[in-house]
Amino acid sequence: MTTPSLLGLPLAWLGAFFVAPIVIVALYSFNVYALFPGPHGFTFDAWRSFAHNHVYLRLFWKSTQMSLVVSVIIVLLAYPVAYYLALSGTKRKYILLLLLIAPFLTSYLLRVLAWKVILGDQGVVNSFLFWTHLRSPEHPLSQLLYSRFAVMLVLGYIWLPFVALPIFVSLESLDRRLLEAASDLGASRLRAFWAVTLPLSLPGVIAAFFFVFIPTLGEFVTPSLVGGATGYMYGNQIVDLFGTGFPDWETGSVLALFLIGVVAVLTIAFSRFLQPQQVAAE
Amino acid sequence: MDAEDRLEKRLDRQMLLKLAAATGGAGVIAGRAGIADAMRSFSAAETGRLQVLDWAGYGNDGGQSMFAQYVKQHAANKPRFTYMTNESDALAKIQAGQRPDIFRPYVGWVKFFATSGLVQPWDPSQIPSFQRLNPFMVKAGQYGGKQYGIPDDWGFDAILYRSDKVTPKSRSWGLIFDDRYKGKISWFDDLNMITVAGLYLRFKDPWNQSDSELKQSQQLLTTKKKNVRLIWSSETNLWEAFGSGDVWIAYAWPNDWVQMKKKGLKVVYMRPKEKPIAWVGMFMLLKGSPRSHLAHAYVDAWSSKASAAWLEDNYGYGHANLQARPASSDLLLALQLTNARAVTEPNAHLDRDIPRRAVYAKAWQEVKAS
Repeated sequence: MTTPSLLGLPLAWLGAFFVAPIVIVALYSFNVYALFPGPHGFTFDAWRSFAHNHVYLRLFWKSTQMSLVVSVIIVLLAYPVAYYLALSGTKRKYILLLLLIAPFLTSYLLRVLAWKVILGDQGVVNSFLFWTHLRSPEHPLSQLLYSRFAVMLVLGYIWLPFVALPIFVSLESLDRRLLEAASDLGASRLRAFWAVTLPLSLPGVIAAFFFVFIPTLGEFVTPSLVGGATGYMYGNQIVDLFGTGFPDWETGSVLALFLIGVVAVLTIAFSRFLQPQQVAAE
Repeated sequence: MDAEDRLEKRLDRQMLLKLAAATGGAGVIAGRAGIADAMRSFSAAETGRLQVLDWAGYGNDGGQSMFAQYVKQHAANKPRFTYMTNESDALAKIQAGQRPDIFRPYVGWVKFFATSGLVQPWDPSQIPSFQRLNPFMVKAGQYGGKQYGIPDDWGFDAILYRSDKVTPKSRSWGLIFDDRYKGKISWFDDLNMITVAGLYLRFKDPWNQSDSELKQSQQLLTTKKKNVRLIWSSETNLWEAFGSGDVWIAYAWPNDWVQMKKKGLKVVYMRPKEKPIAWVGMFMLLKGSPRSHLAHAYVDAWSSKASAAWLEDNYGYGHANLQARPASSDLLLALQLTNARAVTEPNAHLDRDIPRRAVYAKAWQEVKAS
């Protein structure tokens, strides 16, 4: 089978289900397509309005901050776990890996909703605080649920395995002889980690970061379940513009395209970190 | 006379001829029962399953009792359901190409849909239960003298609060903005929040606010959003948060009060001095529906006394059928079911058309994003 025919199906798939929908959304954003019948034509109005509407941009920035915090924290948390699984030499590493991804065997919705039981005013955490007299039942820690904190905590929990896996793979494929050489040359374990392990695992770390950052930036299910009034994110705004109140597909399309654009730019900018040879050469 | 009118006239003549053939003229003599039989024969001629776009909980996911009569009579044309999360969602779906025979927006959207060209008026003579429906609500479903909406369920937007935790300063919508209860308040995710802000600010017409008034409403909501813990979009969200004590004050419907009382909570369903907003569900018939008679039969099933009583007992909303009464005296009281004009002045403001709906929607979206 020739390369073009091998590539044909995936390219057709991408074209039909990725490129074409984006083009259609773009046409809506420029009012070439419109939801309602009547006169319409190419215009930058929605884009211009978006650029001047600080509410949308501030919301985007808020969502970016939340996604960044979640991504950075769970990369930091997942790295030691992946490191232990990949390099400790434990025979049970695949069993432990399976345990790590075990929550994925249950429904996403169920996992998110379980946090409501834990974080509510009468939930597990607050009940423990009442029991230990650290808080009185009249003054529970209400910031735990329906808040930005709740959204970030649940997103971190949901995406942790996605972060651990690419880091694990990059550490697992590490050439152990390099660590032996570092040791032979007198490097301490810490020095060997900084000079050898970390740089070589960096592509996995960067990939893991983006595995989380990109989807959480446009997240809307988790914020709608546990975010309350303050955990509202950019993804929720896009969904609302397409269906709540009064449909405004033109503005919704602008917001969606802006999100895609930012993600694309970031991915291109960091893609060089995803080249293992280049990092190894450095 | 345009082509559309000519087509309607032709269809009317065809329908009459077929009706006459189906009943042998009996419909004229036998009155309502005869007409109902004739309609059954006529709807049997329509093919395919009836396409219903409705809210979750009103299809095969629990609302079967509401259309049991229809299923019994039209087993070959059982309804097929798709769901709408709100009227705006239904509008987007229909504009994007979905073709439900019927869908169910609320009274504030009657004018919008009637003038949108998407729906056609009903023929009340094909709905035997129609005469038992609340005349005021029936009138609210009319536009330009035609019956675009058949009223069904109804209720109020008012304030639910925990009487053991909250002491209102007055009977006012101001309670859902009260700084003393920061983090314990829940709003409803709907444009009506802008209307309520307008009611609270005593604007002349909260449904048609000027730019300056709209700005004040938006500012009030943006400023007070800091007190809000949850902006609910489905009742189950609200019940969960209210029932667990996460919120104490909520923009709510009568059924929410009934549900929280069932949980043993000390709750009050407060009718604010600015008055609650009343809403009435309205079945609408899509223009060009190929199953118009089946649609009428479906709405007739919904309008029957048995369905109405079931709705009141199980879902806690009122029903336009004046003969229906719930078993719960609490609900009877909350809905003021003995008052046929409960949904209108001086008791409540009946929800109505928002001429600048898109502007209101943008303002509300900005409040949520702020």
